[in-house]
Amino acid sequence: MRILVVEDEKKTASFVRKALQAEGFAVDVCHNGDDALAAARATPFDGIVLDIMLPGRDGLSVLRQLRERKNVTPVLLLSARGEVNERVEGLNAGADDYLPKPFELVELVARVRALTRRGGETKSTALRVADLTLDTLTRQAQRGGTKIELTAREYRLLEFLMRSAGRLCGRMMILEKVWDYDFDPGTNLVDVYVRRLREKIDADFEPKLLQTVRGAGYVLKEQP
Amino acid sequence: MTIRTRLTLWYAGILVASLVVIGFGTYQTIDEQLRHDHRREPTEHAIDETSEMILLVGLPAVLLGLLGGWWLTRRALAPVKNLTDAATKIHERNLRDPLPRTRNGDELDQLTKVFNDSLARLDDSFKRIHEFTLHASHELKTPLTVMCGEAEIASRDDSLPPAERERAASQLDELRRLARIVDGLTLLAKADAGQVALKLEPLRFDELVHEAFADAQILAEPHGIQVELAACEEITVRGDRHRLRQLLLNLADNAVKYNQPKGGVIMSLLKSGSLAQFTITNTGAGIPPEILPRVFDRFFRGDPAHSQTVDGCGLGLSIAQWIVSAHNGTIKIESATLKPTTVTVRLPLDEPTRQNA
Repeated sequence: MRILVVEDEKKTASFVRKALQAEGFAVDVCHNGDDALAAARATPFDGIVLDIMLPGRDGLSVLRQLRERKNVTPVLLLSARGEVNERVEGLNAGADDYLPKPFELVELVARVRALTRRGGETKSTALRVADLTLDTLTRQAQRGGTKIELTAREYRLLEFLMRSAGRLCGRMMILEKVWDYDFDPGTNLVDVYVRRLREKIDADFEPKLLQTVRGAGYVLKEQP
Repeated sequence: MTIRTRLTLWYAGILVASLVVIGFGTYQTIDEQLRHDHRREPTEHAIDETSEMILLVGLPAVLLGLLGGWWLTRRALAPVKNLTDAATKIHERNLRDPLPRTRNGDELDQLTKVFNDSLARLDDSFKRIHEFTLHASHELKTPLTVMCGEAEIASRDDSLPPAERERAASQLDELRRLARIVDGLTLLAKADAGQVALKLEPLRFDELVHEAFADAQILAEPHGIQVELAACEEITVRGDRHRLRQLLLNLADNAVKYNQPKGGVIMSLLKSGSLAQFTITNTGAGIPPEILPRVFDRFFRGDPAHSQTVDGCGLGLSIAQWIVSAHNGTIKIESATLKPTTVTVRLPLDEPTRQNA
């Protein structure tokens, strides 16, 4: 997997590159929009991390150019403006995801991972992680043959975690996908819900599936 | 008393006084004339003639003068009234719109010009403050991103001793808090500059309240706080879904945060005339009257001890207030020391609902 990182701020570009490389991505870095367009023309990337505020040609204009050229590489927009409407503007311009600065690296990595897998995402109605199963048609969850009662929100949270099984899910990502919040409410809502969900799916069972990654988020997986 | 009434009264006084002088003069002249003609009882006769003159000529003249004066003052003061009407409409947002000038160079036109000039200067300084806040929050985000990233890497770097990793993790927590403050500040700065566009659509407010109620229950559970939804009428308002959810979650979160263990929270949504009225009451320690008016101020914290124990960015209520006023609604807070605190939000109903109601 090859990712293009377009970010003029050298330090940010450097640790984004390191974080993505640590996850096994090959990473190219550009510091301005024109270089990015040239790079995207020369190499087929699997994903582009694009900062909006760039010297010269800005990120949105790069994105529009790409889409005009029928380049459908998934794009994750980064922005320091964090404007409510900017997100919509970015998605309209053809971005696949949007992350306001300052972001968390795990969040960024998780999103890039989701981005590059988008096509292959499981649409199956029967989800399974170890002996935990979820039927998305009947909304029925079971662990080791025991039925688990879930509220609507818990169900959405579990479905999201199971669909991203094995991948780290950042708090912002969970808020966005499960709650449809486009803002950081500054509450520990996610943590409290995860705790409740954990009581239902993990408390009486082994092994524990729902794991906390300190300061980063949660991951549902079989092996610790 | 308006200037116009006062001027007219003075004017009437002067006219009456002149009438008295004229009457006295006439009396003197007639009296002298009669004495000259050696008529008997000249005084009585003179009084009669004078009264007749005053009644027939003087009074109508005075009345005419008064009417004329009334009309004149109205004409003279009309520009002042226009100026007042225009000036009433001035607020922070439209300082750029100048007051209408007559451009005839008179005193009032001069006054309007001076007034417009000072408005423009005021507008400039407001703009500079807004731009400063806006730029400051942009500029803060770049180094914040770098610091967060580095702290995050350090907190998970297995080659570092655990103590150092722990330090990086706690640094990261503080940096995240800072990031939330900068976020809130950016939002408010943009709102001040009128740069946040709301996506208004008719939406079921009661559904959002139900959702906030469910979230509040979850948030309250670890503290043993009971959350109750006393009423929730079916209500449609015109609003921005995300911002209204943010508002409700913010208020619910506050009601839990500033509560006491095993306390209670009561939410309710009712129709009140042409308004949707949402209230949320919590059984916290209450807010003393001297700080109550300031709780919507940015970064205001009533109790310095609270800022240590309660996590928050100090902008929550300011943001709530902005969201409500952007929806043409009102928000108020009632409390007293050791008394429950109630926040009431009133939003206008969506038109069709009002017609059905």
